Amino acid sequence: MLRSLATLLLLSTAALADTADGEALKAMSWDQIVDKARGGTVNWFMWGGSDTINAYVSGYVADRLRADYGITLNRVPITDAADIVNQVLSEKEAGVTDAGSVDLIWINGENFRSMKQADLAFCGYTDLLPNDALVNWDNPAIANDFGVPVDGCEVPWNTVQFAFAHDSAVVTDPPRDIASLLDWIKANPGRFTYPAPPDFTGSAFLRHVLIHAAGGPDSLLGPFDQATFDTTAAKTWAILNEIEPFLWREGATYPTTVTQLNELFANGEVDFSFNYDPAQFGLAVQAGTWPETTRSFGLTDGTIGNTNYTLIPFNSPNKAAAMVVQNLLLSGEAQLEKAKPEVWGAAPAIEVARTGPEVQDGLAAIKTHPSVVPAADLAKAALPELQADWLTAIEKGWAENVGN
Amino acid sequence: MRPSLRTLAGLALAGFLVLPLLPLVAWSVARGWRFPALMPDQVSAQAWTFALSSQAGVLASFATTTLIATATTLLALLVGLPAGRALGLYRFRGRGLVLLLLLAPALLPGIAVVFGLHGILLRLGLAGTMPGVILAHLIPVLPYMTLVMTAVFARFDPAFEQQARSLGATPLQTFRSVTLPAIMPGLMIACLFAFLVSWSQYLLTLAVGAGRVQTLPLLLFSFASAGRNDITAAIALLYILPGLLILAVTARRITGRGAALTERLHP
Amino acid sequence: MTDRTRLVLLLAPALLVLGGLFLTGLGLTLLRSFRYVPALGMTEPDLSAYTAILTAPGFLKSLVLSLWIASVSTLIAAVLALATALLLRQTFPGRAVISFLVQLNLTIPHIVGAIGILYLLSQSGSFARLAHAAGLIATPAEFPVLTQDPYAIGIILLYVWKELPFITLILLANMQTLGEDHESVARSLGATRWQAVRHVLLPLLMPALLAASALVFAFAFGAYEVPLVLGAHAPKVLPVLAWQASTDSDLTTRPEAMAMAVVIALIGFALLALYARLVGKDSPRAP
Repeated sequence: MLRSLATLLLLSTAALADTADGEALKAMSWDQIVDKARGGTVNWFMWGGSDTINAYVSGYVADRLRADYGITLNRVPITDAADIVNQVLSEKEAGVTDAGSVDLIWINGENFRSMKQADLAFCGYTDLLPNDALVNWDNPAIANDFGVPVDGCEVPWNTVQFAFAHDSAVVTDPPRDIASLLDWIKANPGRFTYPAPPDFTGSAFLRHVLIHAAGGPDSLLGPFDQATFDTTAAKTWAILNEIEPFLWREGATYPTTVTQLNELFANGEVDFSFNYDPAQFGLAVQAGTWPETTRSFGLTDGTIGNTNYTLIPFNSPNKAAAMVVQNLLLSGEAQLEKAKPEVWGAAPAIEVARTGPEVQDGLAAIKTHPSVVPAADLAKAALPELQADWLTAIEKGWAENVGN
Repeated sequence: MRPSLRTLAGLALAGFLVLPLLPLVAWSVARGWRFPALMPDQVSAQAWTFALSSQAGVLASFATTTLIATATTLLALLVGLPAGRALGLYRFRGRGLVLLLLLAPALLPGIAVVFGLHGILLRLGLAGTMPGVILAHLIPVLPYMTLVMTAVFARFDPAFEQQARSLGATPLQTFRSVTLPAIMPGLMIACLFAFLVSWSQYLLTLAVGAGRVQTLPLLLFSFASAGRNDITAAIALLYILPGLLILAVTARRITGRGAALTERLHP
Repeated sequence: MTDRTRLVLLLAPALLVLGGLFLTGLGLTLLRSFRYVPALGMTEPDLSAYTAILTAPGFLKSLVLSLWIASVSTLIAAVLALATALLLRQTFPGRAVISFLVQLNLTIPHIVGAIGILYLLSQSGSFARLAHAAGLIATPAEFPVLTQDPYAIGIILLYVWKELPFITLILLANMQTLGEDHESVARSLGATRWQAVRHVLLPLLMPALLAASALVFAFAFGAYEVPLVLGAHAPKVLPVLAWQASTDSDLTTRPEAMAMAVVIALIGFALLALYARLVGKDSPRAP
């Protein structure tokens, strides 16, 4: 019954997607689009918790947009992109098809799937951006966002790969694969925990355990399969329940967000934190939040990598200006700027070989923050991201079987 | 109880009231303050420098919050003053019901109304706009405004107005020179509470403002949920500043809210 | 102009705002909780959203938690506020300062207090560091769990901290209104000071105390941002659960969010009825 409600909702509103404005833009040349974009305002909804990332966007990016195109960038800090998906959906339900409040979202994974499923994204325009040529769309990790084909509905911004952080002054020889991490947890009661899903990072940690339980990622790739899930998930819950008594607070409580985990790590309450974006480790050390002796590492059996993107909602009234923003973000110069460790330290989402010599030299000259494991080292053992349907099942299953 | 014991009890109470604010002060100037350090290793102005920079958006947010709270207060006054007059001066059938209706938003949690309210404002094209947020804030603010004004008018004698009118004053003159001075103290209290209730709103702004209207509590939560304790603390301290200032001006009058809210419904 | 017309004109703006925004908002939530959305072709209302939330174990746990938080914090705040009001009625050195602090507290937004409590009471917070300095604990894990804890101690402490001054001020205002006469009479008839308070003042204050407590209960039951800062991962308080359901990427949970909002509203209305009875009774009136 509820399923049919969802289907009904989707069907009844599907016809509204892609405003005339958007279709008109697709028929234009880039120069015409830039002309239309001049003087516009872009409301960019993005996670606002890092002062350095905020400074990059409100400073470098906004300044260049104002100087080069007369575009005003309004950075709207949010805590959870899911709120914004919901907002665009509400707008669609209320018939707001060309005057939406959101022009650009920093997004990936489940939220992208939701937007694509409900036809909330402006699609099929990305090849119009001149800097789209810098993107390697042949790379499946870029052409698919958590297994969902991007289909010209979003533009890559950063690539990230999961990594663990530890204080080298406390733990000198950290475990390097999931099996030895599990042993370490049992040998060091109370010194490890992970954020409760649906926290984005906690959910990613679960997937590493799931892949470990499955003996490798191969059986989990591709569309969701209930039978495979049932067997693997049963093993995963068994592992997680086995380590639960050895977790922080004996597993009675889990941190609700990765921020809480970071706080626990900062105060020495636990010995590890982890993140999709290892650059965050360096930023935390620079902010004085984490000890200088923080170091990070990947796993020998691999860590999950993915790409995050920017997306224009179907009802954005400022699509042209939003496209100019996306194009600027993709440029070699902007990608180089945010790769600098003092700015952000984020790995580029473009093919470096396709950029000009200045950008290439700049990127080559960058010295990674000592607390951040270099992306190249992580890339030696990378795991693919599972499709979004698996995530939903894992998160639900965890709440029922482990975190109850 | 002996006076010394009273002082002791008072000290304990004072400690309890002030304690949660102390870590905020320390954190706002801390850099790298980890367990078990009792005091920050390094004192730094970095959080304040950031919070007061134009890039952080804290100052813009401060202005937005002030504007919304002021506009909500004025609007509530325009709506609540006449209603308070009607309820305070007249007895009529259904008065109890009207009072209850006016009181309901103070007792009903915001989450109960927020989904439907968002739907209405969306259809009016007001979601994600400052006027939309002001209208939304009007809901929890109005009970305080109306009930305080009801209490004020219950103590007001309309005979003075009639005298002024019979002496040839216009309605406006009467209001300015007779009514207003009489209700002024109560009106100030009502405005103070209206301002503070709007100033502290979180959920309504989040839902109706759709992220576009960034008031201080939203910004504060954004940094709190990112684990930047130093910046969070600096913003938190900025956030309580106006309340402090208003209190310093009107310190003695605050108890009026209590009287108004517990005023029985049928005077 | 007749009195009737004047009344209608005076009341119209307020009723329009409350009817147009508040009641319509509630009504829309109610309709959607029955999965009645004519614009989307859903014209057959049903109760499946209610069945879904009532059969989900999470909902009842959340309801119990929310009621627990609201009851305990209201009870503690009310008792302490009564003691504080009785204290502040008397003179002693430093009374002015305390009175100022009580009023100051009223102006501080809840979320600021919640963050302060977190920095104070978490296992690596100020108190834990003091305990470490005093040699009582060696690691944060040895400090009692007061935030993000199963009994919601941190949340309850925050509400007590924030609502104690609120109830105190209401009680003080009422005491002022009552004056000393009733007690003086009792004292002149031979009652001790305590007997006068216990048998004369307390019964007179009771309606105001209960009414203030109802307001506090309503707030503690319905607040969203405080448990967000201080709450544990599970169970979540009802408003947080409802908000989460409303922003879930799974569309099917949205009517459930509306149904939860309706349940919350019903509890609010029950409180309102209680409140009306309390203040409607013979409470002394301000002169």
